[in-house]
Amino acid sequence: MNASVEEGGPELRYAEYVLGVLDADARADVAREVATSPTAAAAVASWQRRLLPLATEIEPQEPAPAVWERIESVLGLRVPQRPATGEERAGLWESLRFWRWLSVASAALFVAASLLLVLFVSRRPPTPAIPYMASTITEQAGRVGWTATMDIAHARIVVVPAAPEPLSAGRAPELWLIPKGRKPIAVGMISTAAPVAIQLTGALVAQLGPTAVLAVSAEPPGGSATGQPTGPVIATGTIGAAAAAAAQTSAVTALTLRGPAARELEFERG
Amino acid sequence: MNPTSDEPLELVRLLAGTAARDANAFAELYRRTSARLFGIALRMLSDRGEAEDVLQEVFTAVWRRAEVFDPALAGAMTWLVALTRNRAIDRLRQRRESVPDGALDLDRFADERPGPAAQAEAGLEYRRLQGCLDELDPNHGRSVREAFFSGATYNELAQRCRVPLGTMKSWIRRALIQLRACLES
Repeated sequence: MNASVEEGGPELRYAEYVLGVLDADARADVAREVATSPTAAAAVASWQRRLLPLATEIEPQEPAPAVWERIESVLGLRVPQRPATGEERAGLWESLRFWRWLSVASAALFVAASLLLVLFVSRRPPTPAIPYMASTITEQAGRVGWTATMDIAHARIVVVPAAPEPLSAGRAPELWLIPKGRKPIAVGMISTAAPVAIQLTGALVAQLGPTAVLAVSAEPPGGSATGQPTGPVIATGTIGAAAAAAAQTSAVTALTLRGPAARELEFERG
Repeated sequence: MNPTSDEPLELVRLLAGTAARDANAFAELYRRTSARLFGIALRMLSDRGEAEDVLQEVFTAVWRRAEVFDPALAGAMTWLVALTRNRAIDRLRQRRESVPDGALDLDRFADERPGPAAQAEAGLEYRRLQGCLDELDPNHGRSVREAFFSGATYNELAQRCRVPLGTMKSWIRRALIQLRACLES
């Protein structure tokens, strides 16, 4: 037994792999072995059965609802009922169909809503100075890749693809916030195919403003591992106030009832 | 919310549904397991953003490769925990600075114990493992626990509790051999 302690031995390496004490190279060796050898896979599985029950001691932590939304978005799933993560649907804001429509009509909407806001503003209770911000994230060729709308009060950003250039295989778009004169801050993975809603940290919300820029870079599917962009920046956009915003629900409804998307919006709300 | 005796079978059923591309089964699997898996990733990475990325990677891998799950080899939760820990450990290895904020006192080294509620909920396997861990030399047992919860390498563990690398390796290897014997007795 002492000999095996000193020399390790293959069986013990599987235990060390499962426990997590091996360095990166040794881990990679065992992982390769597990992938190719049923004996190694069975030995690792035995050690998992022995050791992993210890994870029972770790207090469960509720992840942010945005994680599930990202998973659905990345996998292209539209599950009829979302798993109950404790947050109720927040009506229009949660309606992806509405945001997709908004990305098409956003320019017209903002102009029109600004006009409406002038009519409505005197009758509304005071709201935060800039409750909503928006950004048009444009690719190098001048094409609009995504539109982003930020809800300051709810610390949330919705990023809707317009017509982004497809990424090369094995790359996924990651959104970054770049405060003026500072390093990029990761916001989250977005999609070229579907709208994505991301919950923002307080620190991120504090950096939103006209001097900051949103950028999209091409990263490995799980996102940059370094905390900084590693792939090329494919699109950028400045951030502006969208005080006219969308969320003045009555104004939006008034507008959409005149537009072609009225039926779709009513369907979503009903 | 309390786990019932049927919970493990239920998770196997949900994984089978996921392998058959049943999005509702997948959503239910996420609802039932995400908080536990997120807790594990967060504990190792100490960073919500990174832990959320791990959770996303785990569940996208589960959706794409659920058919790889073999109930003959491992329980459903064990499989999911292993996926989560592997991703979290890989991320830890990619971080440049290997030793976070200073050394730890050996006496306070992972000496936490589960609360009464966790113990009551815990399954038979956990109680057996806990019993075997209690039989180890205290230094060996604490080192195994710290290694498990932090995902640290031998080197990092040795530095954190200020013992030579050879000593840390010997403690953990002896503990692993003793644990195997105890669990199989």
